[in-house]
Amino acid sequence: MRKYNAAEVGEIEVGDCKILNIEGRSIGIYYDGENYFAIRNVCPHEQAELCKGTFTGTTLASKPHEYIYGMDGEILVCPWHGWEFNVKTGQSLVDPNKYKVKVYDVEVENNRIVVNL
Amino acid sequence: MDLAPTKSKSSSIIDCDFHQTLKSFEDLKPYLPRVWWPRLCAPEATLPITIFKPIPLSRRDASPGKGLPPGSDPQYAIEDALNRYNISKAVLTGSLLTVSAHNNPDYAAAIASAFNDYTLDHWIPTDDRFLASILVATQDPVLAAREIDRLGSHPKVVQVLLPVGSREPFGQRRFYPIYEAAVRNNLVVAIHGGGEGDGINPPISAVGQPTTNFERHNILAIHHMSQLNSIVCEGVFETFPTLKVIFIEGGLAWVPHLMWRMDKNFRGMRNEVPWLKKKPSEYIIEHCRFTTQPIEEPDNHELIQMLSMMRAEKTVLFATDYPHWDNDSPTFVLNKLPGELRRRIAYENAAELYELNHSHVEKEGVSR
Repeated sequence: MRKYNAAEVGEIEVGDCKILNIEGRSIGIYYDGENYFAIRNVCPHEQAELCKGTFTGTTLASKPHEYIYGMDGEILVCPWHGWEFNVKTGQSLVDPNKYKVKVYDVEVENNRIVVNL
Repeated sequence: MDLAPTKSKSSSIIDCDFHQTLKSFEDLKPYLPRVWWPRLCAPEATLPITIFKPIPLSRRDASPGKGLPPGSDPQYAIEDALNRYNISKAVLTGSLLTVSAHNNPDYAAAIASAFNDYTLDHWIPTDDRFLASILVATQDPVLAAREIDRLGSHPKVVQVLLPVGSREPFGQRRFYPIYEAAVRNNLVVAIHGGGEGDGINPPISAVGQPTTNFERHNILAIHHMSQLNSIVCEGVFETFPTLKVIFIEGGLAWVPHLMWRMDKNFRGMRNEVPWLKKKPSEYIIEHCRFTTQPIEEPDNHELIQMLSMMRAEKTVLFATDYPHWDNDSPTFVLNKLPGELRRRIAYENAAELYELNHSHVEKEGVSR
């Protein structure tokens, strides 16, 4: 495992995503106000730049015609076809075992955001 | 046939659905009679839209910056799509495809006409790879025919563009002025998604309006099906034997279904349509073309089977739908296809339809 010094704490605002080239891979670092998440910037569907999509919440599983909003800030929606991914696991919501985007562990060390590759 | 997908990226590509748009409706003013200006930018006055789309129409990652809409800056679009994917030609299909849903046929015709002028002034000169469509509002086919005659001889214009949403099926005689004008100007007729269930048009599904955009999008192809069915049954291809019709953004998998059903019914019900001299599927294969996007995504061998069922080596043309949210990238679609079929779909079928190898060049040298 290699550590990559990605950014300084405070450089990425709450709800924002900074896209970096880390050892030839495009990776988005997203900050939800509590934790940082590192997500490969490639949608497994048509290879769009996933991290240019929207970080948001979604409707949780419910009964017909019942609407429950949740997972606020935990969902990344692809800017192309609207596929939803869980920012924590990288799994797509509809087909989690088939379509997964790579996520990396992130730590804060000495006021730096460090991605574990 | 070799059914292994190809990974080669060397073949040429014609994109049959490339959406240019305005920076704002204000862009139409120089081309629009003064009388229409007050309604141009009034809320909901220009393009009636019924159903909310949670995913915006255009890809947020395709904005040229400065808050401009995706597809509104030709130079950005050239880099972002034509150069990135090495596209040889792109047929511009515009952004006013809800125009056929407007209640005022004169206003609809006027903004379609202004949009066409805007495209010819601001997009066509920017890159030789762009080809133009003449957008027409179908509410008044006589006005539409006038617009086709106004611009039809422009060397970069290859087709007449009809939004698929309509109050009446396109095979009916009141639309014949459009086909007459298209044939007179040697243009393809393109039928592209747009205006279904909006404004004055019938509902999105045949049984009423759906509740969600998901439900809407799943069933959109019924409008393409209805128009194709009508055009064939009414004998449009007997009346206009040189006419070619391309169905854009309807997907593909419904085509075998409709061809089989029409051919089966024709055996028992031919006497209602004695003007049809051939099986319906023969008219479709000879006269109609279909673009890939939004391509259905079954597993690959099922996709290849489906393409075979609809004679894709002749009938299917590649399209991206750039920069809309459900666009398909060339690599995603074309890498699924075996070599010869890939070449036909990526380039040859479109080059033949739009006569890009032969007469289009001649046409550019002819003054009309």
